[in-house]
Amino acid sequence: MKVIAVYSIKGGVGKTSSAVNLAHMAAIGGHKTLVWDLDPQGASSYYFRIKPKIKGGSKDLIAGKRELDDLIKGTDYANLDLLPADFSFRNLDLVLDASKKPTRQLKKRLKPLADEYDFIFLDCPPNISLLSEAVFEAADLLLSPIIPTTLSLRTLDQLSDFVHEHELHDLNVVPFFSMVDRRKKMHRDIMVSLVTKYPNILTTSVPYASDIERMGLERMPLGGFTKNSPSLKAYQQLWQEVLLRLE
Amino acid sequence: MHLLFEFPHHLTVEHFIAKLSNKYQPYLDSQHESHVTFYDSFDWRLYSAGISCEITQAKNELSLTLIELALNQGIASEAIASVPVFVNDIASESLQLTLAPILEMRALMPLGTITLQRFRLNILNDDQKIVVRVVIDESPSLPNRLSVLPVKGYDKACEHLIETLISHPINLTPIHQPLLPAALQLIGRKANDYSSKLNVDLAPELRADIACKYLYSHLLNAMKANEQGVIAEIDSEFLHDFRVAVRRTRAGLSQLKGVLPEDINARYIEFFSWLGQITGPTRDLDVHLLNFEHYKNSLPEAIREDINPLHDFLRAKQKKAQQDLAKKLRSDRYLNTLADWEAFLKASPDKNPVEANAQLNIKELADRRIWKMFIRAIKEGQLITRHSDAEELHELRKTGKKLRYLMEFFQSLYPESQIKHLIKNLKSLQEVLGDFQDYAVQESNLRLFSDEMINLNTPANTFLAMGVLIQELDTRKYHARRHFTARFAEFASTENLQAFADLFSDNKPKRKSL
Repeated sequence: MKVIAVYSIKGGVGKTSSAVNLAHMAAIGGHKTLVWDLDPQGASSYYFRIKPKIKGGSKDLIAGKRELDDLIKGTDYANLDLLPADFSFRNLDLVLDASKKPTRQLKKRLKPLADEYDFIFLDCPPNISLLSEAVFEAADLLLSPIIPTTLSLRTLDQLSDFVHEHELHDLNVVPFFSMVDRRKKMHRDIMVSLVTKYPNILTTSVPYASDIERMGLERMPLGGFTKNSPSLKAYQQLWQEVLLRLE
Repeated sequence: MHLLFEFPHHLTVEHFIAKLSNKYQPYLDSQHESHVTFYDSFDWRLYSAGISCEITQAKNELSLTLIELALNQGIASEAIASVPVFVNDIASESLQLTLAPILEMRALMPLGTITLQRFRLNILNDDQKIVVRVVIDESPSLPNRLSVLPVKGYDKACEHLIETLISHPINLTPIHQPLLPAALQLIGRKANDYSSKLNVDLAPELRADIACKYLYSHLLNAMKANEQGVIAEIDSEFLHDFRVAVRRTRAGLSQLKGVLPEDINARYIEFFSWLGQITGPTRDLDVHLLNFEHYKNSLPEAIREDINPLHDFLRAKQKKAQQDLAKKLRSDRYLNTLADWEAFLKASPDKNPVEANAQLNIKELADRRIWKMFIRAIKEGQLITRHSDAEELHELRKTGKKLRYLMEFFQSLYPESQIKHLIKNLKSLQEVLGDFQDYAVQESNLRLFSDEMINLNTPANTFLAMGVLIQELDTRKYHARRHFTARFAEFASTENLQAFADLFSDNKPKRKSL
């Protein structure tokens, strides 16, 4: 089982669409895959038409009163399940803080799922908090979407500083460009300079495209309603690159 | 939760969907013609293990499904690229793990195909999310079957649907039977219609010549059942079973003398000896190939890959031997003699046979022959010491084999538990003798192969690896030899002697008289 967290300090950078589409690619490849919607807004639950509600909310979940397995819902796609969000997840930090060794809780709760799933995607809320630290502890790979704008660059630097300060040397942070508009000179320039600064960045970038926005209308991963779009191809390539990074 | 249902006879799929639509939003996801082919080995290994193997072809997609027959539950279902012949052809590791210990070296063969219209329906909730899936198989010759496929986390929706399915006005019936038995009946196949085990039911008072003809007919059927598989080389076990039937027939003819006319006996002993000889080289090579992985794993890891040219050599040699054999099995000599043998066995028996043992009842003959062969085995074994050469052990093995064939021929004449127990004791002795002999033969064959391989530009490292292998086989041979003494002591124990005497001898001789 490999845990892939899709994470960014900043919101609106394409985390959820990346988590949903990459998980769908993994499932199509025959891997048993789970998406855990950790964002109280419940966007990935929405994409899969699953109600963002879990019995007992975040308290029961972190206290271990409910097995994760009992809360999981099958999506409409083979090999792909979802652990829905819950509005109570907005208080996850407080709940974690009240538990013992808070940053280890997430990893501990995921452990029993190792036999059942090949990949678990964590769709994380945008912030840097106790929950983020628990995510860092649990993840084999931290996939971070970056829009090539100056503001996004700052968040990548912040994340990088945080990793250094907290000595998270084992954390495999892998950034990639998201919502890229190649018509914009600024996007192109920033991409060139950032690759020099962060050589770890993935070569595939995901375009800013209307079909990705359409996911919200269709309430499906891209592969559910298009067969051949450039965005779909970008996610396919991205997934292949991610797989290589996991080896 | 019961998940499999049968339609009432009058209910069509169309009507069913219409009725279901009153309560649900069923969405027809797909409708395809599906061809379901059932597979098993020639000797029904999967069926005997309680498994049905179904390969479904719908449009251009192939999938392999394993079903546990007793519970009618899916064990696994996976998409496959092509129809596998051997377990190793299956890409999926989990399918391989399930099937390999059951099928071993046997090929999967199609039992027959049924064609279905397969409807896939999705039951949606208010968010248009799938909460239950339903598969309906419509067939012109079988009642329509419906399977409910629950979606994880939507148990209530599933229970609710099932309640609707079994209630008025839909009225489906829950069923437990898997598709295989009904399909076999439709295809006209009978499960377990071949077994490599000899299972001949004889009445004790049957006249010996009639009983023997019956026995030989049974063995002839086994040969005929395997003959085409040998020629087409479907897998190695066709030849194995064919050879066993040949050897059993030859052993019967030579051990049960004075039953059939002398000239007949002589003619067919020669014929079945010839068949034994012409099938030998291919079988020997099959054994080497079947053992190859084992050979490889017995070598130190660093030199394992060096032995691979031996595999290529064996494969090429086996191919040639098999082609020669297939040619001989199409020859006039084989076809005519076997046809004559069949005609002889089918002809009505002589009313007053003149041969010395022909008029005995079969139980008498069986007692006599088994007892005699048993005494011979004991005597031969007692003469074997630590210094005896390999030839003496080989002789004892041959005697043991004859004894075992006789006991297997006539097992229906004796109480099942007793004869099975004695056969088991004999098998245990035969095992060490067999191992000893097999290792010796493999060792000497490998030496011969290396002579031939010198002319084939074989890398020096391969010979080195073969040398290590020969050494390994020699060690195993030595171990088998060491085990012989203890195993023979068990076989010649007072209890075993008494048990043999009780079952086969009227004289009940004491150990001293042997």
